[in-house]
This record gives sequence, structure tokens and C-alpha cells, in this order.
Amino acid sequence: MYSIFSAALPPGRPRALLPRPAPVAVLGGCVQAGFPSPAEELGGQRVDLNHVLIHHPEATYLMRVRGDSMVDAGIGDGDTLVIDRAIKPCHGHVVVAVVDNDFTVKTLWQRDGQVKLAAANPRFPDIVPREGQTLEIWGVVTNAIKHFCV
Amino acid sequence: MLALVDGNNFYVSCERVFRPSLFGRPVVVLSNNDGCAISRSNEAKALGIRMGQPWHEFRHLERTAGVVALSANFELYGDMSHRVMALLGRHAPGQEVYSIDECFLDFQGLPGDLVALMRQVRAEVLQQTGIPVCVGLGPTKTLAKLGNHIAKSAERKPDRYPASQAQVCHLGALSPRQRQVLFTATEVGEVWGIGPQVAARLNAAGVHTVSDLLAHDAAALRQRFSVVLTRTLRELQGTPCLALEDAVQARQQIKCSRSFGASVLDLPSLVEAVSTFASRAAEKLRRQASLAGAVQVYLRTNPFRTHDEQRSRTWTTPLARPTDDTQRLVQAAVRGLEAAYTAGYRYAKVGVTLLDLQAATHCQEELPWIASGNAPAPDRGPLMKAMDAMNQRYGKGTIAVASTGATRPERHWVMRQERRTPRYTTQWDELPEVRA
Repeated sequence: MYSIFSAALPPGRPRALLPRPAPVAVLGGCVQAGFPSPAEELGGQRVDLNHVLIHHPEATYLMRVRGDSMVDAGIGDGDTLVIDRAIKPCHGHVVVAVVDNDFTVKTLWQRDGQVKLAAANPRFPDIVPREGQTLEIWGVVTNAIKHFCV
Repeated sequence: MLALVDGNNFYVSCERVFRPSLFGRPVVVLSNNDGCAISRSNEAKALGIRMGQPWHEFRHLERTAGVVALSANFELYGDMSHRVMALLGRHAPGQEVYSIDECFLDFQGLPGDLVALMRQVRAEVLQQTGIPVCVGLGPTKTLAKLGNHIAKSAERKPDRYPASQAQVCHLGALSPRQRQVLFTATEVGEVWGIGPQVAARLNAAGVHTVSDLLAHDAAALRQRFSVVLTRTLRELQGTPCLALEDAVQARQQIKCSRSFGASVLDLPSLVEAVSTFASRAAEKLRRQASLAGAVQVYLRTNPFRTHDEQRSRTWTTPLARPTDDTQRLVQAAVRGLEAAYTAGYRYAKVGVTLLDLQAATHCQEELPWIASGNAPAPDRGPLMKAMDAMNQRYGKGTIAVASTGATRPERHWVMRQERRTPRYTTQWDELPEVRA
């Protein structure tokens, strides 16, 4: 936890805690004292984001978003996408597709024998494959990471 | 039963995963310093570009045939290799990673249809990594390798082999007659362990195809050729002679060399380069927990610049005591360079090789009365450990020996990599972009 000091100390100036060096006694060995920690036996592991966000490490890739056709799905310009290629793309998944040799992120719409890539921003039209054109899905987006200024 | 799995045109395939526009085009990956072709797409092969061909020889195809030439992006290839190898390793009890793009799998004791399994594994690797692979199966390493060659060729040249053998070829599951057809269509030089010279001698003796070789008398073969060839023959007959090597063996020598971006004339620049390579080699040495007993430095001019005066020199500096200390290794390398250097030549390449490697655990101490007089500085193991840890955490070259010139703004001997694609999977600032 960070403590934020008031203006009592001049910023950026180190200040000695004691005016003179003071001898400190050092004891060798361990000292058994107090009660054993009640948390020790439970052995909790700190949450690891890699475990939470990545289920298939060999099949997971990151991409950076450019553009705002997906803002209503919570995906904005500059976000980082987590993409899992081990997941079979289905209706409703947010996917990365290859359109005219470029990567594009859209929602996969697959109903009544019709397939299209739907934007999540009314200003952008859906992408409907032309007759005979195959729609290539590169991977399924599992998470979007937003970065805030700190 | 063993399998040999390898990535098709591996480096090119890695590039295509992140640049879909490269599909269907002739693509070539160039070696360090944009020197020679080290990976070619099928379209590039069809244009007649050879493996190892110098870039300046086919540069004109860039304009006339739309060839795309890329600088090698080894960070990307290394990461993609890890992904492929990890996926493959899950399906077999034993795995030997043989090179960046190929591995042996050992299915000993595993029942079931291995062809069906490997077709499914192949599809999984392609789906999850985008890398197409081919699989050869057989009871020995040599047969698995040969099966892999047939699987690859059957995919690329359908007139040569039956289409049923494309992508996955199991030599151990075929009838003797089917095998005979494949072996008659395969030149003897394609067999693992038979190099161009032995192949030429075999051809002269009337042995052209694999079935010719198998029809040959083993005893006669042993008399006229080496024991190695007899072993290859036994492997082809289905008797295993080569075991799977699970653990990566410690290397017997460590080499670090590069061609320069521009030719170098002066000694100070060469000292920087040699110091950098010696430092890098020392890092690799410590990673495999070895000590080096000698340091070899090598420098040469550019043999393709035929009008330049040519020079090539090697100098080996033995060490009084084997070490893994960067500073001592750099000192020895620079001493060797100074001995090998003659002014007035346009140097194009230098290299540092650490020789006489031994495990750090059984190091022979020198006798004290030999060392007396100029007692060597003690090795600084903790310092080296700290240096490696910092360079790993904060990036290569955070801490370096000063003679590498790492802090100088202009090091014109550094590698030329004008055409390298972003390191899409290993650098946070170089992730591929996706349009929204």
C-alpha cells in the first residue's frame, strides 16, 4: 500500500532518521515465538492472470486493436485482445477473421444458413461474404484488456 | 513405432500465420544479415530458388516475379516452434526435439491406428498454430525420416508418389509390395545419413534407388563403404540402431558468429564485435552449466567480393584454467583477434567459438605451483549469475563488458535485418494489429 505524504517533508530530499549512526544488535539463529500462522496450512496461491485468461497456452495469441467498430461490445482502439485458436467458432462469438488479407475483429453471426461478421457500432456495416467467398476465422476472442493512464 | 514430424517450409509458414497476404505468393526467408535463402515457400521453389542461394543472385525476381524476401525473425520462429513441439509432445510417451522444426515421437506400447491419430494431430497443430506439418512413421528413425520425405513429396509432387501417402506416410503399416513401389521411386540420396558424396559413389556402383540399396548384399556393402552405411541399411530393413535421445545433450562447442552489415576495416570495431559474441557465447555456456578450455576467434573477408583481396584467419587461445567467466573469455577472444588481425582488409565476418567444453561440476584444478607468480583472479560465479539474471529481466545487454561498445550510439558492424517482420508473439510492442 502506498502512503502519500503531506507537504511537511520537502519532496525529494532524503532525511536521516537518526542524527548519528546507531549500533544495531543482530541475533543469530531463529526465534520461535507467537502462534503459527492460521493461513499456512491452507496454502493459498495468489491469483495468476495467465491462468485466468489463458486456457490453451500453445493456441493463445495477443493482438492490438485499431479502430472503433466494436465499441458497443466493449472493445476499443488500443485494447489488447486475447485470442484462442483452440476454440471452435460459434454463433455469437467475438472472432478475429481474415478479410482481404487483413485481420478484423467482429461478432460471428451464423443463423438460418446465413453467415456474416457483425460490427458492434451502428456506424459500421456488417461484412457479408460474397457468393462463393469463404469466411476465414483466425481465432476466437476470449478477453479484451483495456489499458488506463496511470 | 516412431514418428518424425516436421513443419513444412517452417520459417515461411511462421511468417504466413501473421501475414495472410503472403499465402499464394513466392516467399523466401533470408539468413542473418540478409545473406542466403534459408526457407522457401513452394511457389519460391517452383521459381527455381535454391536452398542457400545468395540473395543477390535472385534479387531480380522481387520485381519480375513478385518474390517477397524477409529477414529471419528467429524470436518468432522459436516461439512458434515451442508451441508446435508442446502440442506434439502431448500425444506420445517419448519425444526428441531434433531441430527447431522437427521432432521424433515414440509410440512404443501404444495401441491403435497411428495414421488416424497423426492425421488428427496434424489437423490440431494446423488449427492451433497455423503451421502445416508432415508426418513419417516407421519402426526405426531412418524409416520414420524416409516416410516423412515421402509424405512431403507426395503432397508437393503428386506424380511421384501415390496421393494416399501425402502428409502422413506410415512405412510400417504398408504391405511389402506397397513399400517396394515407394522405395523404387525414391533416390538413395534421400535417405537420412547418406550424404551427396556417398550417394554419388553408390550411384556409380549401380545403386540408384532405396530398393536397389535394400537388394544389395550387406557384407559387400560393409567392405566397400563405412560401418555407418551398414547401420543405415539395417535401419532401413527395420532393425532399430539409433535410440531416441530424450534429453537435449550438452553441446560440445558453442559458436557465435555473424556477417557484418557493412565491411569493417579497423581493429576497434572488430574488438566490439568479438567482445559481443564472446559475451553471448559465455551466456550460453553458463546456461548449459559448462566451462570452456579454449577460445577460438575467426575472421574473414567477403568471398563474394571477388575484386577485394581475400583473407581468412583462425586463432585459438587456450585458457590456463577452464572458465565460464565472461570477462576472462572476452579477454582471451580479444587476444586471439589481435593475433589474427592484419590491417588493410575489408572484413565481412567474425566468429567466436568456445571449445574444450566440460561440465562445471568436474573441473580440474590447476596445480598451485604452476599458477603461482601470476595467480589468476578468482572466478566470479555470483557476479555472472547476477549479470545473467539482470540481462534476462531487463533485456539483452543491460549489463555488458565495456569492450562490446554496447553504449556507443553507432555500431556499424551490427546485423542487417532490413526486412524483418515484427516479433508478433514475444514483444509487447510488436503485437499484430487487428482492425475493428
